[in-house]
Amino acid sequence: MSDDSGLWLLLLGPAGATGLYWGLYRYYRNTDKSHAFERETVVDAKPVTGSDQKIGQITGTRETEIDGNNVQSYRKRVKRLESDTG
Amino acid sequence: MSNSTRSSPPPLPPYTGPGSPQDVPPLPGSSPLDPATLPEPIRDELLAPDPVAIDTSSDELKDGLNRCPKCGASDIRHKPGSDLLICLYCRNEWHGARVEEEFGLGIGLDELSGTVIASGARDIAADAASLMTFKCTGCGAEVTVNTDNAMTARCHWCRHVFGVNEQVDNGAVPDAVLPFHIRKDDAVARIRQFVDKRRFFALKAFKEQFTPENVVGVYLPYMIVDGKASADIAGKGEIQTRRYTKGSGDDKKTYYDADVYRVERHVDFTVDDLPLESSTERGNLDTRVNTNNIINTILPFDTKNAVKWNASYLSGFSSEKRNTDVQHLIPRMEDQLLSIARAQVEDSVERYGRGVRWEQERLDVHGTRWVSMYLPVWLYSYHQPGSNGGMLHYIAVNGRTGETMGSVPVQQWKLLLTAITVGTFLEGIALWIVGTSS
Repeated sequence: MSDDSGLWLLLLGPAGATGLYWGLYRYYRNTDKSHAFERETVVDAKPVTGSDQKIGQITGTRETEIDGNNVQSYRKRVKRLESDTG
Repeated sequence: MSNSTRSSPPPLPPYTGPGSPQDVPPLPGSSPLDPATLPEPIRDELLAPDPVAIDTSSDELKDGLNRCPKCGASDIRHKPGSDLLICLYCRNEWHGARVEEEFGLGIGLDELSGTVIASGARDIAADAASLMTFKCTGCGAEVTVNTDNAMTARCHWCRHVFGVNEQVDNGAVPDAVLPFHIRKDDAVARIRQFVDKRRFFALKAFKEQFTPENVVGVYLPYMIVDGKASADIAGKGEIQTRRYTKGSGDDKKTYYDADVYRVERHVDFTVDDLPLESSTERGNLDTRVNTNNIINTILPFDTKNAVKWNASYLSGFSSEKRNTDVQHLIPRMEDQLLSIARAQVEDSVERYGRGVRWEQERLDVHGTRWVSMYLPVWLYSYHQPGSNGGMLHYIAVNGRTGETMGSVPVQQWKLLLTAITVGTFLEGIALWIVGTSS
């Protein structure tokens, strides 16, 4: 939230301190690292098929992206449907 | 205590029917029924081969001795920096057979069906022991190998070198091994370089005790999985149709209109050599309690170059034993296959500029092939004391590619002090700006 007095600038100190702490901590401990098997495994995929069906419209939203956008969160599991072959 | 006045109970009637303790169990692998007398469908099922589809065992090495094909000596070592074995007696060098060609592991991914398990990836027998004893054919002495951490031992009398080569059911002997390529000196240099970049905020005790020369070469157990699968993913995507602002000055706000779509995607794919940790401890990647993610990060390995199991490659190195079976690893494999599928369909939803929210996913695994493999890792470890047993930090170097990753313990007070100092400085600037602009 911004206002005319620029008071939001006062967040600079705490935000900078927290950001620096986490940045350095991760650089030392590397807790966020793991094997990127999605990119580094040899995958041979057939062309992707599918369907796209318009189901509605949104007007006047202030959100810049869809709620719960997980297109790049490959490892975030969503509802798993039972498979045919198990 | 016997009581002579008490009459003895009447004898039990003899029971000799099926299932009675008097029955002698059939020999392993044999059937109490003669299949020839059974109907054809049942006979076919009984006589069908075992589910182990790829036999990777080496009959010639079963006595524990790996002999030089030229002179017959048993003192065989891995030649550092190569995939060669070398006879320390006559200096003869030879190359182990690559499993990729030997067992056709690189082909037929598209025809995979069911769960194909190589013989070294079979289930671990519950009563399997860690200690294996060999009777030395040279002098008759007994040589014991503890398969928890070693795969070779030398006869203390006649210096024959014994290796655990038989695929006993304790999970210690995999189908293949990928020999070390990165030498110890190289690994030490890489670890030193890694830590040198992270010295300022490192724990004081860690810096004082840092001796990368103590790095240990360890063969860690992995399951290498080939798979054929299909995935279906469904969700909602949004495409922006209009962007406009309302209000003026500081009240100006941006609004968006968008079309909403139901998005469904299907992808058929095969994966080649997906590595999964087959040790429970290494497979636990919870970064709150351990730093095993460090070892996971140095994956992948060039598993195509793995050679047929031969304990001589492990001479002088430590090893860790597999303790999980294929069925325990299937959920993790399916999870990774789903993640791969999600990555594969990403390009097909590029038109949804406002993103896609996947809501449902389905995976059909058509076939998998499991091979147990030892992969080479240089490990430097440091135990940081603390509550709940402290934390074991690793710096790991991939024994083939040299990829290095590590966890360096942090001197918390120093890091906090620096963060607060920088924060205070920034706050001072902010206050000055606010003060001068008002």
